[in-house]
Amino acid sequence: MSPRLRGKLTQLALSFSVPSSILQKNVLMRTFGIRSLNPPKASRFDIGSDLPVLKSTPTAALERKANTLPPRTGAIAIKKGMTAMYDPETGKRTACTVLQLDRVEVVSHKTQQRHGYFAVQVGSGWKHPSNVTKSLLGHFSINGVSPKRHIFEFRVRDESGLLPVGKAINADWFQEGQYIDARSNTKGKGFAGVMKRHGFGGQDRSHGVSLTHRSLGSAGPSQGGGSRVYPGKKMAGNMGNEQNTVQNLKVLKVDPGSGVVVVNGAVSGPKGCMIRIQDAIKKPWPGVVPSEPIA
Amino acid sequence: MTAFSPIMRQLACLRSLAKPQSSISSQLGRRSITTSYTPKSEPVPLPNKLPKQFISQLPERLQPAPGPKKVKVYPPPASARNACKDPVGAVAESQMAILDPKGERKALFDYRRNPRSVKVGDILRVTFKNGDPFSGVCLSIRLRGVDTSFLLRNELTRVGVEMWVKAFSPNVNSVEIVQRTEKRKRRARLYYMRQPKHDMRSVENIVTNYLRQKSALSGQRGRGQQQRQKRR
Repeated sequence: MSPRLRGKLTQLALSFSVPSSILQKNVLMRTFGIRSLNPPKASRFDIGSDLPVLKSTPTAALERKANTLPPRTGAIAIKKGMTAMYDPETGKRTACTVLQLDRVEVVSHKTQQRHGYFAVQVGSGWKHPSNVTKSLLGHFSINGVSPKRHIFEFRVRDESGLLPVGKAINADWFQEGQYIDARSNTKGKGFAGVMKRHGFGGQDRSHGVSLTHRSLGSAGPSQGGGSRVYPGKKMAGNMGNEQNTVQNLKVLKVDPGSGVVVVNGAVSGPKGCMIRIQDAIKKPWPGVVPSEPIA
Repeated sequence: MTAFSPIMRQLACLRSLAKPQSSISSQLGRRSITTSYTPKSEPVPLPNKLPKQFISQLPERLQPAPGPKKVKVYPPPASARNACKDPVGAVAESQMAILDPKGERKALFDYRRNPRSVKVGDILRVTFKNGDPFSGVCLSIRLRGVDTSFLLRNELTRVGVEMWVKAFSPNVNSVEIVQRTEKRKRRARLYYMRQPKHDMRSVENIVTNYLRQKSALSGQRGRGQQQRQKRR
């Protein structure tokens, strides 16, 4: 048996001899984002430029997601309320939700090199600088944007989707007729029982049932099942105020002057809540060339 | 202590002389690297108006405290939210400009402002684009901008029928007031009229009378033309 080099030394030797970026990423660089519990170990047989990308690496994870990640960023909007639109010819009525984009700007980027994935950090609104922590204020200051009240990330497929920092996203980022996914928090319902929260049937009004008309029945099997309640058992608890995505909403109307985007149908959440809208992942990507934003 | 004579007691003052001598001798035995004592120099006062570029040359402890670091804050861009305070209203307005350019339909149902508008309890006759008219007593009016609608109740083949009609729908050709309510209703929604005690039953007789009168008044003119005149 040949004498083994110690772990650190083998890695060094590999990185000098092999220009493969995969090995360098796995072995020497700290990895962010999607990380494997069992990272591939460097082996002296894994050397060569023609080897396939290992499946449990960030590179491979990004490749797998390439088809479902939108090529361009989305925007943050405020839900303003619902109304209806009529088609004057056919007389067809369409219920629609009115969203408004308010001072949406790109704040910073997330890159594969530094963070393990590509994303655009987008901010909207405005917050008084005296109410912003100093670390966050520095973040805005370095990127040359005003302090934002709401910040969200939108993942994009690759570098080409990274809109320049400080660039304003106006309503004409979306075009009429395209489809979007709207992501937001649902209305909070507070602490709800199982009938409301999970649609349980409840128990009888009578037939000897007392004081437990709306409670769940059994929480699980007894001794044969381990005498315990299984994880994930549906019980009473907090309902709502959790993220929900409504997919494939058609954009009915866009008005860049007032920042209004009107989408078909309903969007989760109360009026005034923040909605993240991005190109629908289940429809063809739109080819949009937005005009210069109105200053 | 009685052994101490008064003479010895006087000599005791010599003891204090003897002590420091012994301590000096012990100090001589120690090694020291200090050869000579140099007193600490008096700090030279800084000039009153030291130019900024020289401050970095001072030792750190003498440099003036820099104070909190200034963070540059950028001004916010123009707000679309302030430019358009009521986007839902704006969208509804733009729809109404297409569907109801003269604002007649809006005035017909704006019962809060227009005294000549439709009120609950009135009997209405609605004609649709597909040709089927529907008439009934108005039970409630929902004012929601372009989404405004009203509820009509009638009886067809002895079965109570209700129909929500969207006021601005392009499918609604005309809305006529057949008969106004005798007294102002003191409810906004006349859902009690669904109860058998208060049910108005069929309004067909009233509507046919109204149509007969109308055709008599207008002479032998076309009915469609007349309708268009009545339409609001």
